[in-house]
Amino acid sequence: MTTKEKILIVEDEQTIRNFMQAILSAKGYDVLLARSGAMADTMIASHCPDLIILDLGLPDTDGMNVLSRVREWSKIPVIVVSARSHERDKVVALDAGADDYLTKPFGTEELLARIRAAIRHTRTPASSDALANTGLFRAGELTIDYGKRRVFIAGRDAGLTQNEYKLVALLGLHAGKVLTYDYLIRELWGPSARSDNQILRVNMANIRRKIEKNPAQPVYIFTEVGVGYRMIEGD
Amino acid sequence: MKRNFEPGRRGVPVKKRLQQVFPFCWRDFLVCAGILACAMLLCHLLRMIDESDVFVALIFELAVVLVSRFTDGYLFGLLASVLGVVGVNYIFTYPYYELDFTISGYPLTFLVMLAVSVSVSTLTTQIKRQEQLRAEAEKEKARSNLLRAVSHDIRTPLTSIAGCITTLIDSGDSLPDQTRAELLTNVRAEADWLIGVVENLLSVTRISGDSRLRKELEAGEEVLSAAAMKLQKVYPQLQVTVCAPQELLMIPMDAILIQQVLINLMENAARHGGTTTRVELSLRLEERFAVFEVADDGQGIPRELLPRLFTSDPHPHGQSGEADGKRNMGIGLSVCMTIVQAHGGTMQAENRAQGGALFRFTLPLEGNRHDDERKNPDR
Repeated sequence: MTTKEKILIVEDEQTIRNFMQAILSAKGYDVLLARSGAMADTMIASHCPDLIILDLGLPDTDGMNVLSRVREWSKIPVIVVSARSHERDKVVALDAGADDYLTKPFGTEELLARIRAAIRHTRTPASSDALANTGLFRAGELTIDYGKRRVFIAGRDAGLTQNEYKLVALLGLHAGKVLTYDYLIRELWGPSARSDNQILRVNMANIRRKIEKNPAQPVYIFTEVGVGYRMIEGD
Repeated sequence: MKRNFEPGRRGVPVKKRLQQVFPFCWRDFLVCAGILACAMLLCHLLRMIDESDVFVALIFELAVVLVSRFTDGYLFGLLASVLGVVGVNYIFTYPYYELDFTISGYPLTFLVMLAVSVSVSTLTTQIKRQEQLRAEAEKEKARSNLLRAVSHDIRTPLTSIAGCITTLIDSGDSLPDQTRAELLTNVRAEADWLIGVVENLLSVTRISGDSRLRKELEAGEEVLSAAAMKLQKVYPQLQVTVCAPQELLMIPMDAILIQQVLINLMENAARHGGTTTRVELSLRLEERFAVFEVADDGQGIPRELLPRLFTSDPHPHGQSGEADGKRNMGIGLSVCMTIVQAHGGTMQAENRAQGGALFRFTLPLEGNRHDDERKNPDR
C-alpha cells in the first residue's frame, strides 16, 4: 500500500465512531469523521474520500439522502451501516447505489472484509487484478472462465446452462459483494421480469448442485436471507 | 385565546364519542342491507302463500335483532328498526305502498323495535368489549412475562460487562496479563449474548404487531445454510453439518424469522448442551410438512425442564440454576415457539437415544391460504 486510502466515517454515535476510527487507523487507513449529513456533504466534496461508511440514522437527515447526493456525481464506494435490521432497508439502500451494507452490531472482521472488497472494486472494474488480467476468476476449486463462458470445478466443466452461467459470472464479477435478488433478476431476465424470486431460487439450487459438494453447506455462493447472494472473494 | 380554544377541544371528543357509539364500517353496512333485504324477500314469498300480514312485523323484528347482533355499535341497529318500521308500513300492511302512520299501533310497533334494537346492540357491544378486555389482559400477561425474562437476560450480562470494565479501568495495571485478557473475553462474550437477545426481541416485534407474517416461498436449504454460517461465525470451534433433500424444497415462510429459529436452537445446543461439539441441521419432507431438526451431541435436556421448555421462564425461582453461567434460554426458545406457531407449525423437543438433544419443528407447505382466508374477514 503506497498511498493511504482515505475513508470517511459518517456516524453520529461517538462510541461507534471511536471504535471504527481506532480499528481503521490501526489497519493503515486514513480516517475522516463526520457527525451529520451536512458535514458529510462538505467533507465528501472537499476531501474526495476513497470510501464512505455511511450510517443511515443521522440526526439531521436520512442517510439515504446523503447516498443519493453522492451518487449524483460520483461512484465513490459507499458501505451503508444501519441499525435497522429490516432487510427491506438494506435492499433499498443497495438498489439506490450503495456498494454493500453492514447491520449493527457488526464485527471488526466483517467491517474490514467489506472495506477491502469495496475498495478493490474501484481499482479495477473486475473483482480482482487477476480477473482483469487473465479473464479467470478463481476461488478454491472454482474457476470462472469469462473468455470461454464456462465454469470449472477442480478442472472439470460444471455444465452450467446459459442462465446459470450468467448468474455465476455476475456474482464472480462482484465477488465479495452482495447482489440483491431484484438486481439479479433484472440483469438476467430483463427489467420487465416479474420480481418473482422463485425462478432465481430454482436456478441457484441447480447451480449449487453442480458446483458445491454439499448444496446445503455452500462454500462458494452464500445466501443473505431476505437480501441476495454473495460470491466468496477470489483467491 | 383560551376561550376560543375550548369549543374546538370539546368538539373533538364529542365527535370521537359519536364515532364510538356509531362506528361506521362498510362491512356492517352490507350486513345490515343484506339482512333487511332477506327480510323483505321473505315477506314477499310468504305473502304469496298467505294473504294476511301478521308475520311481517315479526320478521322485521327478527331482522332488527340480527342486525344489532352482527354489527358494531348502535348505528345499524337503529337504522334497521327505522327502516323496518317504514318498510312494514309502506310495503306490507294495508294500505299497501303508502306511508300511513296514523294506523293504530304503529307508534307502538316502532317503539318496540327501537327498544329491542337498542337493548340487543347494548348487549352485543358489552359482550364484545368484555372479550376484548379478556384478550388484552392475556396479551398483557404474555408481555409482562416476556419483559421479565428479557430484563433478566439483559441485566445479568450488563452487570458483568460493567463489572469487568470497571475492574480493568480501576486496577488494570496491577492485574496479570492473563486476567486482563480473560476479563476482556468475558466482556465480548456477554456483549455477543446481548446482541442475540436484541435479535430475538426484534423477531418478536415482527410478529406481535398488527403486521401479518410476510410469507414467501423460500428455498429451505438456503435458510439452513445461512443460519449455519451465522452460527459458525460466533462458534467457530463448533462442527455444524447441514443436510437437505436432493430435491429443492420451497417452503412458504418469513425466512428471516425461520433463520432466527434455527440460530436460536443451535445456540441453545451450543450453550446448554454442556459437552456439545457437533450440531446437525436437517430438513426433510413429510407428507405436506417441511420438517426441520436441530440435533446435538451434548448432555441432553434435564427431564424436569422438558415440559416447560418453551415457556418464557424455564428456570423457576428457587431452582439452583447451575451457577456456571448457564443462563436460561427462556426468551430464545419461547421466541422460537411463537414464530413456528405463527407459521401454523408445531415444535417439540426430546432427548436422543444416543445422547444429546433434538429439537424438531414443522412448517406446513400449503394450506396457509385457507388460514388467511379464515382470518381475513375478522380484520
